[in-house]
Amino acid sequence: MSAPITVWRAALALLVVCLLAAACSVIQKGTDMLGSAGNTAGTVQTVKTAADKVRSSFADITEEEEYYIGRSVAAMILARYPVYQNDALTRYVNAVGNAVALFSDRPEIYAGYHFLILDTEEVNALAAPGGMIFVTKGLLRRCKDEETLALILAHEVGHVAAKHGLQAIKKSRLTDAFMYLGSQAVQHFGSEDLAKLTTAFEGALNDIVEQLVVRGYDRASEYEADGLAVKFGARTGYEPGAIVRFLKTMVGDTTNAAGKGWFKTHPSPEDRIDRAGRAIAALGPAPKIDAARTQRFVQSAATLK
Amino acid sequence: MRKPRTATVALIALAVGLAIGAAQILVVKVQTTQLRNAPQFFGPALASLKAGDKLEKLGEANGWVQVRTAAGVVGWIHSSAVGESSTTLASTGQPVRTQATANEVALAGRGFNQQVEDSYKAKHAELSFVWVDRMVQIKIAAAQLEDFLRRGHLGGVK
Repeated sequence: MSAPITVWRAALALLVVCLLAAACSVIQKGTDMLGSAGNTAGTVQTVKTAADKVRSSFADITEEEEYYIGRSVAAMILARYPVYQNDALTRYVNAVGNAVALFSDRPEIYAGYHFLILDTEEVNALAAPGGMIFVTKGLLRRCKDEETLALILAHEVGHVAAKHGLQAIKKSRLTDAFMYLGSQAVQHFGSEDLAKLTTAFEGALNDIVEQLVVRGYDRASEYEADGLAVKFGARTGYEPGAIVRFLKTMVGDTTNAAGKGWFKTHPSPEDRIDRAGRAIAALGPAPKIDAARTQRFVQSAATLK
Repeated sequence: MRKPRTATVALIALAVGLAIGAAQILVVKVQTTQLRNAPQFFGPALASLKAGDKLEKLGEANGWVQVRTAAGVVGWIHSSAVGESSTTLASTGQPVRTQATANEVALAGRGFNQQVEDSYKAKHAELSFVWVDRMVQIKIAAAQLEDFLRRGHLGGVK
């Protein structure tokens, strides 16, 4: 009888020793890996990526790549519209935009969210990938309170969070780009690869700008962004019904100022009012409009020339 | 004698397997961010983190992840700032591939990067990046944003 008990005790002792050794080994390996973070290019080739797959779709575009795509898309938008230079108002728009971005599903983005005002009476808002967002002077004039501006900016943050801009890139373009990148973990490209990659980059930018400025997103993306605006706006503490009030001002508006931007690239406001209303009803108790916010909006908007 | 030994070996194998599986490594995917002492944006930061930094995942709550840094600091980071690293602790054989994975590209800082932007700019002299550069410099500091939220009775900030 005593022999099996001794064996079990020995086995248990062995188990404890092995577990400790295994734990130490894992911690050591983990620490080694954590410590190698700075040595990027060198590390990459030795890192095992058994569960990883090669890049194939827009979802595989990295944060840094999205940022660089966004920068060039922003440059193309800024080639079409001049910037409205009003530092105080620009800072206010950035504060409202960053507030709703903070309560979005994607508060952290490669280089942060940034907002600029475009000097045009067209009523429009545009979001480049990577969190570079534009609103027009014409659109700011349409806003009567901070809630409305916040919900519109939340709609644009929604496009960024859902990566709608990146989805506009043609699949063949991505396949080419991913292929030119190859598997070698080098940080600088040879001239031939760089030329091919630049062509693919150029094509991707044109796909996005065509969608943003000329054709507009498909209805499903616009409805999704409205839903996200309601969600992010209410989460921040803004009254979500502001988006419905804004859309109502657009119903039947065929003035040149409105028609050029918004109407060309967005589904009819009637459809959106319906859907946004349902999203708001589904929220349950929603935040209410706030006098302190409206007051600071009115003060900031008064500087609009 | 045989049965207890077999049982012990099986137990050890299971325990080691569980211990290895528990260490999940995350990679910071945003340019810079802060490690925070609680799962919220405002409040003291424990450390600055940058793209490519690796973190050991300890737990998660409401969109936030509790992590340990290489220096051993334990804190919280928002889930949108990190990606899962498919890096495995065990070294295994790898078939030869002809294309890179998103993780490799992100870690090496390659793909569409500054070099590609420079090459694109050289082809498109008509485009100006002056306002793009100014735009990305517009920053609302955390303390200012917190104050903006508080004054506007937003975000539950008291």
